[in-house]
Formats: sequence, structure tokens, C-alpha cells
Amino acid sequence: MKRPKRMLEDLDRDIREHIETETRDNIDRGMSPEEARYAAMRKFGNVARVKEEAREVWSFVRLEQFWQDIRYGLRMLRKAPGFTAVAVVTLALGIGANTAVFSMVDSFLLRPLPVDQPSQLVVLAFQHKSGALDNQLSYPNIQDIQSQAAGAFSSVLGYDIGLDSLRVNGNGERLLTSYVTGNFFPSLGLKPYMGRLILPSEGAVPDADPVVVLSYSYWKSRFGGDLNVIGQKVSINARPFTIVGVGPPGFHGLHPLLDVQGYIPYGMLAVSGRESGFMSDRARASAFTLARLRPGVALKQAQTELDVVSERLSAEYPKVDEGIRFSAHSELLSRPDPDSGGQIVQVGTIFLVLTLLVLLLACVNVANFLLIRATGRRREMAVRVALGAPRNRLVRQLLTESVLLAVLGGVAGIILGVWCSAAIAGVNLKTAIPTHLDFGLDWRVFLFTLGVALFAGVIVGLIPALRASRADVNQVLHEGGRGIVSGRHRLRDTLVIVQVGGSLALLVIAALFTRSLKAVQQTNFGFDPAHVVNLSMDPKNLGYDDASSLAFYRNLLDRVRALPGVQSASIAFAVPCSYYSSSGTLDIEGYEPPKGQPAPNIKDNKISTDYFQTMRIPILHGRDFTSADDENSKSVVIISETMANQFWPQQNPIGRKFKSTDAKRVGPLEIIGVAKDARFSGLSGTIDPYFYVPLAQSVPPFVTLQVRTAAGTDSLLPALKSQVALLAPGLPLFDVQSMDDALDTMNGLLLFQFGAVLSGAIGFLGLTLAVVGVYGVVSYSAGQRTHEIGVRMALGAQPGDVLHLILRQGFIIVIAGVLAGLLLAFGVAHTLGDALVGVSPTDPLTYASVSLLLTCVALLACWIPVRRAMRVDPMVALRYE
Amino acid sequence: MSTKENRERIELLQGTLDLLILRTLLRGAAHGHAIAKAIEFNSDDVLQVEQGSLYPALHRLIKRGWIAMEEGTSENNRRAKFYRLTAKGRRQLVTETSKWDKLAGAIARILRPAEQEGKS
Repeated sequence: MKRPKRMLEDLDRDIREHIETETRDNIDRGMSPEEARYAAMRKFGNVARVKEEAREVWSFVRLEQFWQDIRYGLRMLRKAPGFTAVAVVTLALGIGANTAVFSMVDSFLLRPLPVDQPSQLVVLAFQHKSGALDNQLSYPNIQDIQSQAAGAFSSVLGYDIGLDSLRVNGNGERLLTSYVTGNFFPSLGLKPYMGRLILPSEGAVPDADPVVVLSYSYWKSRFGGDLNVIGQKVSINARPFTIVGVGPPGFHGLHPLLDVQGYIPYGMLAVSGRESGFMSDRARASAFTLARLRPGVALKQAQTELDVVSERLSAEYPKVDEGIRFSAHSELLSRPDPDSGGQIVQVGTIFLVLTLLVLLLACVNVANFLLIRATGRRREMAVRVALGAPRNRLVRQLLTESVLLAVLGGVAGIILGVWCSAAIAGVNLKTAIPTHLDFGLDWRVFLFTLGVALFAGVIVGLIPALRASRADVNQVLHEGGRGIVSGRHRLRDTLVIVQVGGSLALLVIAALFTRSLKAVQQTNFGFDPAHVVNLSMDPKNLGYDDASSLAFYRNLLDRVRALPGVQSASIAFAVPCSYYSSSGTLDIEGYEPPKGQPAPNIKDNKISTDYFQTMRIPILHGRDFTSADDENSKSVVIISETMANQFWPQQNPIGRKFKSTDAKRVGPLEIIGVAKDARFSGLSGTIDPYFYVPLAQSVPPFVTLQVRTAAGTDSLLPALKSQVALLAPGLPLFDVQSMDDALDTMNGLLLFQFGAVLSGAIGFLGLTLAVVGVYGVVSYSAGQRTHEIGVRMALGAQPGDVLHLILRQGFIIVIAGVLAGLLLAFGVAHTLGDALVGVSPTDPLTYASVSLLLTCVALLACWIPVRRAMRVDPMVALRYE
Repeated sequence: MSTKENRERIELLQGTLDLLILRTLLRGAAHGHAIAKAIEFNSDDVLQVEQGSLYPALHRLIKRGWIAMEEGTSENNRRAKFYRLTAKGRRQLVTETSKWDKLAGAIARILRPAEQEGKS
């Protein structure tokens, strides 16, 4: 590359010489020296451009120009700090919202499990003919699939989740455990951090392997990263266990959201209160099951093989498995379970679309600012064109400026987005159950944000750049500074209409979600959460067995009921909307499930006396439990209204009997009462059947003390805590909170609140952007028309006429935007479907009030520039030129 | 003078100017000013080259390897750059010329009947 460089160095000399030669020729022809030189230079043309073009032939001119553009762009942005700040903040809000929402979608739906070859993992589920999809399989079925579908799956692994108590040196603490089959760790391809993991030989025999593997993070937090932990004896639910290893860092178990702290062989499930037979009974479907596809096997092939297995098992075990169909689902699409995966995808998509709309609005806003600026820079552009700048060069220059803006906005946006998602990840899930939410940056989030920022830069810059560079040199230079004809505003007006319309749609959706939350909050739960406080505890943390736990519960209730301010107190296993529940498969006397359908599986609760008083659930028929319904009396049960109607329609259920696999008693339970329906899980949709058994007849693994107080719940808490401490010194308490708070869980109101807050924030962003946009455009055009207004007023126009003149423009834009927005909102709201509860997606009140709000706010944004226009002094306006 | 016209002329010149330079150099090496003069002279001053645009064109041709540059002395005994046709350039001139003939013929055939219609 020596030659081109020399050529360019000599170019100056060559050109000089060329012009001199030409000058001499001209003199020879008889021109005066001055004339000759001038003629020679004119004939040569633009020296600067010739040099530029010659250099361009050789080099990386493009790159050079790029740097030049960037430097120039930065200089321009620095020169207009106010504009730059507003544009960057606007873009940062749009990009940040996208980063935040995408990082959530990424963490829930896109991030693969931290295991070997995660794409080979599939989730197994099953359903009977018309039943719902169930993602918990029975242990015998897992074993059969493992051996009979070996062509498709290299392994089939199962796990169950337990909430246990881990005691080390006399200190008990709750432990979230995963009971895993022996092939769990080998087939995930995981290596221990220390010691060993659960071995393939473990877990197949009930009660045979009392060993526990700690999760890395639990080992760090509870054991302080003690290297001597391997081999240490601990007790889990009062059973001696040995710590054999520490799991790999970053592995939190396979269950979505949960942060599993310990891994125990599947065969030890009895420790967690599982009744005997959990490994041999085909009807006890309780293990979450995943399978690893053999390399090269597609999901479809695996399904074909599963269909064969399903038919075989259906024929072999007609009593339990008749009509069963096992199915394999992509792990990514099965979060949190194969049945609801689609819904999460839907909600995620809705929010991504909403935030993209916000970004689009932000872009339109900035594009509008740029358009306004571009009008101010028409002279600059015209001069540059006149001086010989190629048109595409100008476009590139302007595009560089807007991409610079977008990159600055992107950097600010990614910071904002990460901060937002960290705030969301830190939200209180109202549970002492360890959870794991990680919305951190990964390459997907980063790429997404980068793409979004560049997209924004191009969108923002293209229109103004193309327009500005199209400026007609002659016209602009002759015009002086003015001469913007009002017809030219059409593009800008359209952009503002888009903006008003888009933010109206966002606001409508935000309002629908908020109304949905209100509707859910006002639902009649069937119980009264006000003035009730919950305290959860697990006496196994102190090594209590069932009998001593029960004695402790009775003492505690006696003392608490005696406290002043306590209206009633009771103890129960399940609390509404909590993350755990129990259920049993029922064998009802005189009831046969329809052909091809499994026996009914129904949720239950274990409760002390006074439970229905504390919850304010009325008993409709029969009687409540009394203290006489204890561990020595006959087994009794109270069923819910829905359960009574489902199994004993138009009959008196009192005195009827059924067996439940969840009951510790072997014999049948006799119905003694019917309680009014209450919502225990899911605050919307149909109410499932439910039943209650006495605490004394089926002691649960842990309980919640519930106290109804006369006044506020807070004042009573110290007294309640001291009663517990008095009876069971050192017993840890979990989830100490009012029942109102306890409803804000992922199963309860939390998702609705989350939706309302998130869409509210998005709607507010949209509103702000619309107001800024309308204000910007109207005030700019009013400013541009200062001269015109001055003339009009000098000619005798009244302020009212001016008001009319300016306001009309704003009004038309706003109304057009509102109409467009109503259509858009109508279209989007229909896709919300299930996400809205208790409010129609076309709720006229919402649409009307939001339109009114937006119109008022937007007209207010017009009002300020209009007032300024009305105060114009004709003389000032005219002299202004 | 509006920029629109300006731009059209440059586009027209681009390919043509290359051809004219090659043709001029067929008679022997020449320096920049001489090339410009030759083009004007040989076309009876019909083609007024904006002389500056010659230089980017020369550089372009060197880059393509159609002409080469060497140092020499001009008529007035000054050091100057001389441009001469390479073998590759010679071949290129042949193809370009025949291409040009075809194009000129085609345009002529299109224009002539149009002109007649216009006159009638």
C-alpha cells in the first residue's frame, strides 16, 4: 500500500501544477494573470472534493468518515444538552422497560437448566381420557417408562419436593428438600462440588439410604462453607442422616422458582410424612418426572414410543391406568408445568408487546424532536449540500447522530432495566420457602437490548435524516430562517397521532389490569381474612414426634385463647393461597368414577377446633369438630358444599363414608358436617371440592397458628410469640404475617398485583411520552408561528382567534390519536383473555374514562404553548425577524 | 445551478471519462493536464471536462490496474507524473469501446424515431 499513499501525498502538488499550467496557457491566450488564474480554478472545479474523492478511491475512507461522523455527532449532541438529555432519557425508559421485561421472560422461559445438554431434557406428564394433564407420575409408572421406552430415553428421573426440618447440634431449621431417584444427578451430568452426590444405587428401596447432599448455596449460608461438613451427622424430621456431599454451584434443583437446599434419595420419602406404599402403589402419582432423550431422537419419536407404553400399561393395570396417556413436553415450554406453560408464554408475549409499544412511542417522540431540530438545521444541511457534500453522506451523518443517541439511551436503558428487574426479583413472595429468582443479565438479554437499541436508533433517525437531506438548497437559502409552511407538518402530526393512540392503548390495558386486581380483591373468598394473623411452625425442628407435637398444639391453643384481644384461635396445616397443600385419592362408598377416569383426587386440610370460627366459614349442615374428635375417637370429616353436591347430589351426605390416601387412619372417614365453600387455591375460576379432617387424627408435618383478634393484629404478635417461646423454647417461626398479607402470594393476589403494577408503570410511561410529544409539537409550531400570530394580532385578531387557531391543531391531533388508540386497545385487549378476571376486555367504563383522561392531559399540554402564543406582542413578533 | 443537474452530469461522466482517458493514453504516456487538454482538443471542445474530476478517475484506473504511473519531466522541465496504459488497460479499452459502440448505437436507434415523431 505504499504506492497509493505516495500518490495521495503528491496529489496536492499535482493539482497545484495542473492549475499553474492551465493558468500559463490562459495567459498565453492573452488573459490577464488574475483572470487566467480564476478561469483555471473554475475549470478545475472543487479542489477539496477532488481530493476527497481521490482519497476515497484508495482507502478506508468509510471508516475515517465513520469516526468523523461520530465525533461530529457527539459535538452536535453536546451543543444541545437539553435536547440530548430528553432524548436519551426517553429512549432509556423505552429500552429499559424492554430489558426488564425481557430479562424476566428470559429467566422464566428461555434460560436453559444449568445441566449437561439441557435441550435433551423433556418433561413427562399424563392424562386419563378427559382428565387434566398431570405432571406428577407414580413411581411404578416411572420405572416402567424407563424400561419400556428405553429406545427413546436414555434415562427417566423423578423427584418430589418436601418441606422438612434439619437439626444440627440442637438447632432446627426448615429445609426445602428434593427427594430424587438414583439416576437424578448422573443423568443431569452434574458433578459434586465436594464429597459425592446421590448414587444410582440409592433411592430404590424405602428407608434404606439416610444420606443428604446439601446445595452449594445452603452449604455456604447455613454451614458457612465448612469443609468438614462431609460425614457430619444431622437429623432430618427427627431421623438421623449423614451429609455426604455438596452440590454444584449454581444448581438450584429442577423445580421452577424453588431454591432446593438438600437432596435426599427418593426411597426416604417416608421421612417427609409420605405413607408407606408410595413406591409400589401405581395410584400414588407424586413424582415430577423428566426424561433425557437419546441423541438424535426427536420429541415426536419419543411420543410415539410413549403411546405404545401407555397402551400396554393401560391394558396391564386397568384398575388404575386404564385410558392413561403419557406425554413428553419440551422442558422450556413446560414452565412452570406442561399444562400452564402456554399461559405464561401468552402473558410474557403480552408484556413484551406492550413494552415494545412503549419503545415505539419513545422512538416516535425522539424522531419528532429530531424532525423539529432538523427543520432548524435545514440551513446547515443546505449549505453543506451546496459545498458539495454528497447526499448519502448527509444521511449517514444524521443517522450516526441518532444511532449515537440510541446507543447512549441503550446504555442508560440497560442499567435502568437491570435495576428494575433486580427490584422485581427482590419482591417479597410472602413465604419462608426458599425461592430462586435470577433476572440477571446474560447474553440473550444483552443481545436483545443491543438489537432494541439499534432498532430504535434507525427508526428514530431515518425519517428526519431523509427529510432533512432532501432540503432544496435554493429554497432554504433564499428563505431566510423562516418559511415553514404549515402543510409540511403532516408527518410530524402523524407521529403524534401514533403516539397518542399507542399510549391510549397502553393506558386502557393498564386500567383493565388494575380493575381486574380490584375485582379479585373484592371477590368473596368464602373466608374472612381481616384481623387474622398467621404464624407457621414445625415442632420437628425441636425433634418432636406426632404425639408431642399434638400436645404442644393443645397447650398453645389453650394459652393463646386466654390472651386478651383474642377472639378465636386455631391451628391448620394449609392456609389459603399458600405454596403447599395436601390432597388424597378418594375411595367413596357407593360412588364409582365414570369409566376410564381415575378415582377423584381432592385437596384437604387438617384443622383444630374453632377453625371455622377463626376463618368465619359457616357450617351448613351437621356439626363442627369438637375436642372430643381426637386421636382415640372414630375418624370424622367435614366436607365442602361443592364436594357434597358433586358426590351426593340432592342427598344428605351426613353419615356417608369414604377413604382417603392422605389420611393416616386406615379405616373410612365418616362425614359429620358440610361447610360453606371457600377459596383455598386460585382466587378465580371454579371452586374445587375440599374436605377437612381433625388435626388430632392426622397430624401434619408442620402447621400454622391462626388467631382472630378484636383489633389490629400487630399489637398481639409479641404476646403470641412469647407464648410459643414459653412452651417450646427455640422453636423457629415462619411466615409471621397477617392473613391479608398472606394472600399476596404467587398463588393468590401477587400475580394480579404484579400485572397491575407492571402495566400501570407501562401505561404511565406511555402517558408521559404522549404528553411530551403533544407539548413539543404544539409549542414548536406555536413558536414557529410567532411571526404569523404577530401579523394577525397587528391586523386586529383577538386573543380568542389565536387561541382557536393554535388549539384547533392540537385538538385534531389528540382526537385522531384517541380514535386510533381505541381501535388498537380494542384489538390488544381481546388477546388478554384469561389474564383478566372480573372485568370485560371491552369494558366501556374503562375505555371512556381513559380516553377522557388522556384527552384532558393532552389538551393541557396544548394549553401552555397556546397561552404563550396569546401573549405575543405584535411588535416583538414582527421585529423578531 | 441546482445540485440535481450537477449530480446527473457527474454520473454521466463517470464511466465515459474512464474510457476517454484510456483512449487518450493509447497514443502514449501523458501527464494530467495534457490528458485533459487532449480530451478537450480531440472532441473539438464539445466535451468540457471538469478538470479536477480527472484525478479521482486516474486513481481509480490505477487501482484497477488499467493504467500505471511513473515519474517523468514535463515539457517545461518540471517533475511530473506520467500515466501510461498497461496491457490490461489496453484489453479493457477494446471491450469498453465495443460496449460503448453498442450502447451509442442502441441509444441512437431509440432517439431517432422519437425525434421524427416530435418534429411531425
